[in-house]
Amino acid sequence: MTAQYAAITRDLRKAFHLRGETIEAVRGVDLEVERGEIFGFLGPNGAGKTTVLRMLATLLPVDAGEAWVAGYDVRQQQAEVRRQIGYVSQVGGSDPQATARENLILQAQLYGASTADAARRADELIQAFELEAFADRVVQSYSGGQRRRLDIALGIVHRPAVLFLDEPTAGLDPQNRANLWDQLRELREAGTTIFLTTHYLEEADVLSDRLAIIDHGQIVVTGTPQALKHQLAGDVVTIEPCGDDHTLECLQHDLAALPDVRETRIDGGRIRLYVADGARALPLIFERLSRAGVGLEALTLATPTLDDVFLAHTGRSLRDAGDTKEMEA
Amino acid sequence: MLRHIWLLFRRKVIETLRQPVWVVIGLSTPLLYLALFAPVLDAFTGGPGFGEGDVLDVFVPGILALLAFGGGVGAGWLVIEELKAGVIERLRVTPVSRLALVLGAALRDVLVMVIPALIVVLVAIPFGFHAHWDGIALLMVLLSLVTVTTSALSSALGIILRETGSLAAIWNGVNLPILLLSGVLLPLSIAPGWLRLLAHFNPLYYVVEASRDLAAGTLTSGEVAQGFLVMTALTAVVLWWATNTFRKAVA
Repeated sequence: MTAQYAAITRDLRKAFHLRGETIEAVRGVDLEVERGEIFGFLGPNGAGKTTVLRMLATLLPVDAGEAWVAGYDVRQQQAEVRRQIGYVSQVGGSDPQATARENLILQAQLYGASTADAARRADELIQAFELEAFADRVVQSYSGGQRRRLDIALGIVHRPAVLFLDEPTAGLDPQNRANLWDQLRELREAGTTIFLTTHYLEEADVLSDRLAIIDHGQIVVTGTPQALKHQLAGDVVTIEPCGDDHTLECLQHDLAALPDVRETRIDGGRIRLYVADGARALPLIFERLSRAGVGLEALTLATPTLDDVFLAHTGRSLRDAGDTKEMEA
Repeated sequence: MLRHIWLLFRRKVIETLRQPVWVVIGLSTPLLYLALFAPVLDAFTGGPGFGEGDVLDVFVPGILALLAFGGGVGAGWLVIEELKAGVIERLRVTPVSRLALVLGAALRDVLVMVIPALIVVLVAIPFGFHAHWDGIALLMVLLSLVTVTTSALSSALGIILRETGSLAAIWNGVNLPILLLSGVLLPLSIAPGWLRLLAHFNPLYYVVEASRDLAAGTLTSGEVAQGFLVMTALTAVVLWWATNTFRKAVA
């Protein structure tokens, strides 16, 4: 049963004890990651994404619950799990004092490759990740994007079945981010399961086949990005009225009474209206605005984003949710 | 596992060769002691604790012990750098032996200790030091155990403390009492009884005592046996503890 999934957890739990305080970082997580998919783990900082990933990668002991990776029990069969997985942490992991080639060859050798095989594999990866131009310079001199490519190449030296990536594009510019997405898709085509954490909405939306949203150590919702957005069937109208907070609240109250409006939220000086049909709702909204004598700074009509999904399930916007510090441990 | 140790050792040596400045600095300390402190000792020739021979016969083994003790200390700083770069974490996800993670660095430290130690011996000879090469060879083995121990200790502390400030504080706090209670600079045989008693709780004291015998060519004395016994046991315990620390590390 467990072997059919790349990763599966049941009621997974982890708490940290810091100066007499107990922080429940992961509180009963159930996940099923299918083989061969890109699975996105979306959530604000401190939600528990990294902690789950580190437990699955055998870096952190599991407190309670069950977890299997590629059919092996993470609590009992760490050596087998390690052979099946690659893991790239947020900070990378390439040795800054060594060259890309040295890094790759050593990594392959540590997985048991002969010197000749290791050199061949390093060549392959240097080509695949376009590292040729600087492969024999020390990593210290690399740009962020170059270094990130090497980090990921290091994670797949031994052709793992499951690749864990913790915030793989954090700090990259849009160009490098898009390139990396392409490379990750190629890896998926080659049969690797990719399990990545991200707090970028766009990344979760565009890159993942399926995703789970996590908040306060618990899974909020799981599904394909499309399905999650469709659950909020309809449109989102965002209006930014002139006036103070009082105006904003009165207006929200007013607009919530409209027949087409399902839900309203105030989000940093703007009101977000979830409506069944934007085209039908807009005239009614305008009419209500002019009756109240309120002017508009801005108005947008859009289909829901993953932020709306997050908002609908947690009552907060993902942008404002990063209140607690992510546990480094 | 031997292959893992070899691979990581070679990696460390390459990295050390890329920053030769540290090797040079490491070498300058014992030579400075020889040049700027040993001449002061000339006044003690034949005095209490020094016996008939040259003062250097007593002083050089102490300097070598000092070199071996300091040789492993830097490992913790490198571990903290590697922690920050995510290197340790990456290695811990691979099937690499945890003992190899400790020993790769420790053996590099041994190499970086032994070469200057031999240079110190060679430099001391023209100034009156009597080298007994069989003793020196055995001494290098004993000193290697010392360096492996301090290196593993420093690495494990680096993993636990995770920042250089606390690591430096601990080493500074421990360094001086260990050196003063070991008789590195002057033989403790001239010290008052209570001080000699305290010294018996210091592993480095046994190393220094054994070093003086070995350097004098006495290979089978009780001091030598004691030195090896203490260091073998200590090295085993520290390696076990450090390996365990790397296994459990959550940093």
